[in-house]
Amino acid sequence: MSASGGMPIERLLEMENVSVNFPVKRAYPFSRRRWIQAVTDVSLEISQGETFGIVGESGCGKSTLANAMIGMVRPTGGTVRFQGEDLYALKTKAFKEARRNMQMIFQDPFSSLNPRFTVYDIIKEPLLIRGGASEAEMRARVLELLKLVGLDEEDLLRHPSDFSGGQRQRIGIARAIILNPRFLVCDEPVSGLDVSVHAQIMNLLMEIQAELNLTYVFISHNLAVVKNVCQNMLVMYLGKVMEAGDSNTVFANPLHPYTKALLSAILDVNVDRTRERVLLQGDTPSPIDPPEGCRFWQRCPFAMVGCETTPAALVGVEDGHHVACHLISGFSPEQKAAGLDQPASSQ
Amino acid sequence: MSTRNVLLQAARRGGSLFGLVKKLWGHPKGRLGLILVSLLVLIAILAPVLAPYDPYDVTQRAEKGLRPSLQHPLGTTITTGQDILSMLIYGSRVSLMIGIITGVILAFLGALMGVIAGYVGGFADTLIMRVVDILLVIPTLPLIIVLTNLLGRSYFVIVLVFVAFGWTGLARVIRSLVLVLKNSNYVKAAELAGASRWYIMTKHILPGTSHLIIMNTTLTCAGIMVAEAGLSFLGLGDPTAISWGKMLAEAQGGGALLFGAWWWILAPGAGIFLAVFSFMRIGIVMEEIFNPRMKASSSIYKIFKHLNNSYLDEVFRSMEDEGPEEAEGQPISTAPAPEGGHD
Amino acid sequence: MTDPVLEVRNLKVAFPCAGGIIRAVEGIDLMTRKGECVALVGESGCGKSVTAFSIMKLLRTPPSVSRIDSLQLDGRELSHLSEREMEHIRGKDMAMIFQDAMTALNPVMTVGKQIDEIYRRHTRLGKKEAREQTVRALELVGVPEARSRADSFPHELSGGMRQRVLIALAFACMPKLIIADEPTTSLDVTIQAQVLDVLKSMQQEHDVSALLITHDLSVVANMADTVYVMYSGKIVERAAVEELFTDPRHPYSQGLLASVPKLSDEKQAFVQIPDTVPHPMRKPTGCYFHPRCSYTTESCRERMPRLEVVPEDRQVRCWNPLGQEREA
Repeated sequence: MSASGGMPIERLLEMENVSVNFPVKRAYPFSRRRWIQAVTDVSLEISQGETFGIVGESGCGKSTLANAMIGMVRPTGGTVRFQGEDLYALKTKAFKEARRNMQMIFQDPFSSLNPRFTVYDIIKEPLLIRGGASEAEMRARVLELLKLVGLDEEDLLRHPSDFSGGQRQRIGIARAIILNPRFLVCDEPVSGLDVSVHAQIMNLLMEIQAELNLTYVFISHNLAVVKNVCQNMLVMYLGKVMEAGDSNTVFANPLHPYTKALLSAILDVNVDRTRERVLLQGDTPSPIDPPEGCRFWQRCPFAMVGCETTPAALVGVEDGHHVACHLISGFSPEQKAAGLDQPASSQ
Repeated sequence: MSTRNVLLQAARRGGSLFGLVKKLWGHPKGRLGLILVSLLVLIAILAPVLAPYDPYDVTQRAEKGLRPSLQHPLGTTITTGQDILSMLIYGSRVSLMIGIITGVILAFLGALMGVIAGYVGGFADTLIMRVVDILLVIPTLPLIIVLTNLLGRSYFVIVLVFVAFGWTGLARVIRSLVLVLKNSNYVKAAELAGASRWYIMTKHILPGTSHLIIMNTTLTCAGIMVAEAGLSFLGLGDPTAISWGKMLAEAQGGGALLFGAWWWILAPGAGIFLAVFSFMRIGIVMEEIFNPRMKASSSIYKIFKHLNNSYLDEVFRSMEDEGPEEAEGQPISTAPAPEGGHD
Repeated sequence: MTDPVLEVRNLKVAFPCAGGIIRAVEGIDLMTRKGECVALVGESGCGKSVTAFSIMKLLRTPPSVSRIDSLQLDGRELSHLSEREMEHIRGKDMAMIFQDAMTALNPVMTVGKQIDEIYRRHTRLGKKEAREQTVRALELVGVPEARSRADSFPHELSGGMRQRVLIALAFACMPKLIIADEPTTSLDVTIQAQVLDVLKSMQQEHDVSALLITHDLSVVANMADTVYVMYSGKIVERAAVEELFTDPRHPYSQGLLASVPKLSDEKQAFVQIPDTVPHPMRKPTGCYFHPRCSYTTESCRERMPRLEVVPEDRQVRCWNPLGQEREA
């Protein structure tokens, strides 16, 4: 799933079979320990300069995955490799150094800035924490970034409450890039903003990426935005990858029923009524002790009997396109003989 | 304890405290509270200057049971002939001192425990919370009685018990707030930049709790003052000190009701009431300031009272499209309009 | 042409406050017909939610002041009715679906009981019959195992389920008008699609007139028949949905449509509208949109354009509407 091209492009981040499980507080002592399988067996590669998209709805594990990427959550299984090194095996000092190359932009512009800090304090903070710069140097750098994100010098002494959502997001972006990170995780950066401001912030993010040669991980539930900016992507549901690959390829030929449902749910403004409309049934089940088989089977309109019990592996369908679905990978002759390919009774 | 110094620093962080006082001053009820508290503190400090007599001085006793007069504006006690006004003034010292000292100690202890439990979490959290649970179960009054029997009657014992048991309330509240603050995105951003836990605790968590600590402390002081008055009334305080609670006990025992010396009861009662009222006033106003949703809608009613009808008509007229003059519409709200309103 | 169900004429709402007065709604007209879904589109702060609450007469006089020429539901004038009379109408002839189900539902009452209450309040049904109706209503909106689910509390249900309960509540007495205020904004995308599907089928099946308030143009594209675009308290455009999306006349409508990312083939930069929505207390002179508009002329800066009727039943509020010859 790496970006195509003749020149060797550095693999900035790799995740191999990463799983993250959280224990659920026991109802009473000695009862069976239950686990939230937030992320299960996810592998990916992100190249330098790329924008990698992670698509999914709430509960799919995308935030946990992002947190595991930047060292905030230790995976229960698998490895996270940043710049070639196993991130979680590093000693504290090296770990902190590595993490300084990563930053995050958060979804909610209202809770991502400390309301008691001035804008100056907020943006300067990462630099202050890292140390090694004089007050004058820090101020110069902050001013430089303010200009880059489109704010004025007189905004420095104000507090976040004086700004609109879009402006706060700009402040958050300035804070995120002050240490010149290589890697930026954008967790639904525009979902909490007005529609007419979405485009402004997205364009700003793209400009900054080009200018500073950043690598983005872009988390969103909006496939249209992801299509526009990401080279590679993966679609997650309840902690597992349903479909992954080069975004052009995936969009040209979406195969997984969930991907199709997401696409039809993004009710396109250019009303293209010929596009296949897939409507799901039921609600997102709980991530506690998920089923053995395909985690999507309960809501899948094309579910077969075998989907409930047999897990679906991620198989390559074409160059740069992988899908985890029994409809695509099919069943073995023995499984077919057992009737696993019959449509499941709808309930 | 160095942590205490840090807490002190955080609480004293220039902007925060001065800004707070200014905000209180701006609020009419807050201003009242501030003035009263300042007055009380002044009275307590300047007691020897303000009081016409020294109630501790046996030689300054007058005739017993005098009614209020020019020389003794509140009369004298039936039992000892002390000037009641002077006792009232000196009594403020005990109430305020105990209230404020205990309140401040509780602020430190409660905040410290709350922050540790909330931020460090894990075993420390469980331990502290279980201690809180135990302390909440133990009845404090019998304990004070037992201890005063063992250690003698003094305010030290009372303050000790208050401090040992009173930190639980603040600790719990601070812990909840810290749990929320800990998960804020800006804390995450700082962690990504490599901030140590100490940095986050002092720069983000503590300042975030300072408002809550201050507000809670003022209300606690009020509560302590009432509790102290009650304990002094029961005779558990220092028998040699003059306190409002003790005055009430003396008044009751000395037959004030019997002889109709209502001023003897009223004076210390009013004192307790004023002290508690002023602290609570500040605390409540602070709560309104920090939690704008709690603001009574009185300010809105005030705006509406002063609304000029022609001003409103002008505003609505300006919303019209330019063109032929249209008839004025009727208001559509069905709620009762304030006096002077249109309808 | 079917008869109008909702007619709002010249609604104005303002909020006096310490620093001045907030002009929330500045003289708007709305109309819906039987079986029609009308969308009121705008961004946060444009006054659309205030409009919804005004129509339901849920705004209290402090803190708001309002004027209206006429508010008619199915021919009946509502503007002068008392609160008592309005209580008979709300829930029965006119119902609202709120944005946030958790705050719209009573957390200490089971959802079944809350729906029962509507029936018992507005009809003569007894306890048992009301419960039968409730279960039917829940089944209609797609709640599985409706009879047992009726005994759940709101917090025991998922977001999508709660929203369906709100729809059931609104449709319970088959009102003439349903006002839906951002009914699916807080939901996941696939759940949103499911809930909107239910809403649409309920509306069409029972020929109910709907006023849909939203900021999401894709929801409008799939649900609405007619669209009103609102900006800073004023209606700036009204058109049938296909016309608006293919041929917007007001620059703001055009900007909004352009800024929605498309699932097109090429990767393209996002089209943006510069600056932000004006502060409701400090609105610009002349046309409110002119500071952000690419087609501003002198008259735009000086005078607020009127809402003009344009051929084939459209309205635009612009001195230089798109798609026509512009004044030199």
